[in-house]
Amino acid sequence: MSTSEATDRHQRSEDGQRSDPRVGTYVYGIVPADVEETGDAHGVGGPSAEVAVVRHGDIAALVSELRLDRPLGTPEDLMAHEGLLDAAAAEVPVLPIRFGAVVTGPEAVVEELLAPHHDEFQAALEELEGRAEYVIKGRYVERAILTEIMDEHPQLAQLREQIRDQPEEVTRDARIQIGEIVDQAINAKREADTQAALDAVTPVSEFTSLRDPSHELDAVHLAVLVETDRQDELEQVLDKIAQRWAGRVELRLLGPMAAYDFIVAQGAGDG
Amino acid sequence: MTVQPASGGVAQRPTATGLADVIDSILDKGLVIDAYVRVSLVGIELLTIDARIVVASVDTYLRYAEAVNRLDLSESGGQGLPELMQNMKQGMVADKGKNAVEGVLESAADKLEGLVGGSEEDQERQPARRRKGGG
Repeated sequence: MSTSEATDRHQRSEDGQRSDPRVGTYVYGIVPADVEETGDAHGVGGPSAEVAVVRHGDIAALVSELRLDRPLGTPEDLMAHEGLLDAAAAEVPVLPIRFGAVVTGPEAVVEELLAPHHDEFQAALEELEGRAEYVIKGRYVERAILTEIMDEHPQLAQLREQIRDQPEEVTRDARIQIGEIVDQAINAKREADTQAALDAVTPVSEFTSLRDPSHELDAVHLAVLVETDRQDELEQVLDKIAQRWAGRVELRLLGPMAAYDFIVAQGAGDG
Repeated sequence: MTVQPASGGVAQRPTATGLADVIDSILDKGLVIDAYVRVSLVGIELLTIDARIVVASVDTYLRYAEAVNRLDLSESGGQGLPELMQNMKQGMVADKGKNAVEGVLESAADKLEGLVGGSEEDQERQPARRRKGGG
């Protein structure tokens, strides 16, 4: 799809489908106006949802037509939303809009979203220029971390003897005691390991943001805003941590992606 | 609007599971369209996204205990005890080091592949859009 085709399509849809209440315009995010559609990225709402660019001044919105006859939020919808934004973020600054944003048509995108907030969006995009978000996820390897905790908490060996070969019903108290000790130990390790990861990536990052753990064996869950030119440095830093934690923590790096964790609205339009 | 960390630290907030990476990133994140668009907003039904609060419960404790129990059995039985386990205890796993490092790079690529929807290397290198003038 070329840019001109995308524009034409939207002009057609303005003329032809503006009054169709069953079709809306899904909005993904704000980008600079000089983006160009080159791929066949498909959008929210199925493979037929072709992604288009709606421009105003120096900024633009990534949108696609959406049929309104079904609820949004399938795994495919969520993946399409993030996939599109992240693909864009690898190339240009992107202000992500929260999942599920639908307006009546492309003209509303210009008149109510882009035009009134042009300068504010443009300034934020300039700040993001050359930067992207990366997410660092570490997950403890259960056997390894339990072995480590056993070594560090000698009282666990004794409790373990109590529950060995015993049914859960008669050893419930000892089991809960074990569980509490392990849970506290994992929390302490998570805090220490998160701090270690934070210390390591901070020198290569513009900003960092802690994320809540999303799994009880999470070791690290961290978002960083990094100059895309420094992605290699970020990977090198993480390689070192991964080596140090080998067999103990499975470390993953996601990105580049849109700056979901670093965009803060300043009461925009709330007044 | 400013570009800065949207959250200051570890807060107690519901987090999600399943499709974990995508949901972790986009759920409750990004600019809220309602703050900008009023007149032409289209309300649309959103499927409930299964979110789970990560707090330790009795179930968690019992699961940990059972894991400790199993760990114990595999050690004392000596049956199928991988050499890996001993190495882990000492924190020196040379072989795994390489895998872990590769894992970092692979998973980034996996994600791109999965989300862009392509399975070919080429598609990873062809983002959906790029600056004008490039082609």
